[in-house]
Amino acid sequence: MSSNEETTEFNRREFLKNTSRAAFMAMMGGVELRAAAAAPGAAAEDSLTPIPPPAPVNYGVIGAGVWGREIITTLAQFKDPVTQAPIAPVVAVCDHYPGWLNRAGELAPKAERLDDYQKLLGKKEVQAVVVATPTPRHRDIVLAALQAGKHVYCEAPLANSIEEAKEIARAAQAAFKLVFQAGLLERSHPQRHFLWPFLRAGALGRNVMVRAQWHKKGSWARTAPTEDRTKELNWRLRRAESTGLMGECCIHLLDAVTWFLGGPLLGGRPSSVAGVSSTILWNDGRDVPDTVLCVFEFPEGPNAGVRFICDASLCSSFDAQYEMYYGSDSSILVRESKAWMFKEVDSPLLGWEVYARKDSFGAETGVSLVANASKQKALTEGAIGASPFPNSPLYYALEAFTWNSSKVSAAVQDYVENFSDADTPDFRAHVASERKATLAQHPAAGWREGLEATVLAVKANEAALSRRRVALEEELFEL
Amino acid sequence: MKHIIDCWVPRRLAALAWLGCAATLAAADAPVRYQALPTNTLVRIQGTSTAHDWEMKGAIIGGFVEFEAGVQFDTAQAAIAGLKDGKLSATAHATIPIRSIHSEADHLPDVMDNLMQEAMKEPQFKRIEYRVTELKLKEPHAPGKPFEFDAKGELTIAGVTNKVAFPVAIQPVGKDQIKISGAAPVKMSDYGVKPPAPNFGLGLMRCGDDVKIIFDWTLARKNP
Repeated sequence: MSSNEETTEFNRREFLKNTSRAAFMAMMGGVELRAAAAAPGAAAEDSLTPIPPPAPVNYGVIGAGVWGREIITTLAQFKDPVTQAPIAPVVAVCDHYPGWLNRAGELAPKAERLDDYQKLLGKKEVQAVVVATPTPRHRDIVLAALQAGKHVYCEAPLANSIEEAKEIARAAQAAFKLVFQAGLLERSHPQRHFLWPFLRAGALGRNVMVRAQWHKKGSWARTAPTEDRTKELNWRLRRAESTGLMGECCIHLLDAVTWFLGGPLLGGRPSSVAGVSSTILWNDGRDVPDTVLCVFEFPEGPNAGVRFICDASLCSSFDAQYEMYYGSDSSILVRESKAWMFKEVDSPLLGWEVYARKDSFGAETGVSLVANASKQKALTEGAIGASPFPNSPLYYALEAFTWNSSKVSAAVQDYVENFSDADTPDFRAHVASERKATLAQHPAAGWREGLEATVLAVKANEAALSRRRVALEEELFEL
Repeated sequence: MKHIIDCWVPRRLAALAWLGCAATLAAADAPVRYQALPTNTLVRIQGTSTAHDWEMKGAIIGGFVEFEAGVQFDTAQAAIAGLKDGKLSATAHATIPIRSIHSEADHLPDVMDNLMQEAMKEPQFKRIEYRVTELKLKEPHAPGKPFEFDAKGELTIAGVTNKVAFPVAIQPVGKDQIKISGAAPVKMSDYGVKPPAPNFGLGLMRCGDDVKIIFDWTLARKNP
């Protein structure tokens, strides 16, 4: 049994015990259960109690490459805690390459194997689709899926051009009965929702600078039995089709950092991006650089003067991926599902950090910002203990999509059964209200966040390739 | 030929006039049907526990109310036109989808939703249903106030149907709408619903058996 299975499989006794305790705490009205609202060190186990959605959601997965197969494997983890019945059964998989289709089919033996996404979209039993194809193919598939009445999870970036990303966003906005989720994983990660309110409460002092990196050694080049297939596989190495390292890898960092800095409403949307790029190690004829560095600047407001430096490389794997938020009172390191705070000597005492676990990083000491990271825990688990959020970011993103799709479908069905299916303001308001309620429980990136991040990625890639500063005018982000 | 036309035209007009009169008479005899509206409707389920009172809310009550022909609600009047022996002849069927009722608790409302749905045996029994069998006007009616009735009917929860009685008020809204308000006291165990008793606090924590279903239901006259 994998560690993920261990955390998602409950027997009925455990399930009832957990839900009962959570219900009691909820009824007490004032006891913080959710890690997002708790101070670091507070218990977070109750937030992990699995509550099944109103009904299972039948999936179709389009694109059966490495990531598509990871998605199928992750979806298989969602099971009813009592009956163990699948909550997100994959009923159809699609890829035009037979080898990948067969491998995906082995992971989802009950799924129908199809070589054309239109055939998959024609299946009435498919309620939701995951679009895990190369980025240039997203637009046509997403538009057709929404037209076919399917909930859509689209990998990020939404598209390799701003125009196509806007087409997707417009269609998603118009499809009020459906859920559209952009595959920006951090938006659904419980650790982020635990961390953000705490950071925004002023622990950093004044925002000074942000650094983020994505480093992984590997050429990106892939081989296949035929020349045509090899060319098809290596779309990411060609500028005409790829958004480069900024789009294909750093988009999650761009989204997370600008979200933390306030997003478009609170001065967190950059006003310009400058960049440089080069091909250092993988000089194999590609025209997409293997190393990129971009600097984002912010407009007048709370982040005036702040620079966000983001770099990515396929030539060195050192320190992998992280974000570092530098503030006048403290700095925060976010790595995977963990975070640490490094205080300035003159920063005010917050109080709770006395009881929090501390981890050493060379000469620095970091206060752990992971829920449940008390000294008592440190004594029993040792330094840098296990995260209370053990699943992958993809798990939480797909969990949110599944639950939200199920709840929105239920809201639509209940409305139609009792009133009518005519597109009226009342119908839209009802679905919007239910959508808001479920998103509060299962936060996720929608079309707006997907468009914002895609614009940043496309423009950062443009700046890095041209080695100049690119203005990020407001109209770029508007539909 | 002209003679034929001269005869045919008045006959046709007479036939049309007769059909018009018949339709009008039929409409006058037809029951007055009000259909549920998706707006200005609220259902609340309120309960107690040994720790804290709780409440869940929903915005959907489907169904209809049908009154005998000639019934008119004019609160300026002392009585209702169409009343017989103080009673209104009415048929009503109200449905509330259980999964549309949500907790608005600050923390983990989906846990509360799930507990409630499990207790009410959703999805086997998807709706709370109510059918009216008698509407008796409480007299005297104070002009300008909503009409108040003692309602008798059948309430179905979790597949169990019981006879219930509780007061309701009918208020005309504008020209073609009515709002029906009321509060139905319900003992959960009467419907085979076991009040949640969370396994916490040495077993001292327990939800009360008595809940109240409070509703404001807005309906619009069909084809007024």
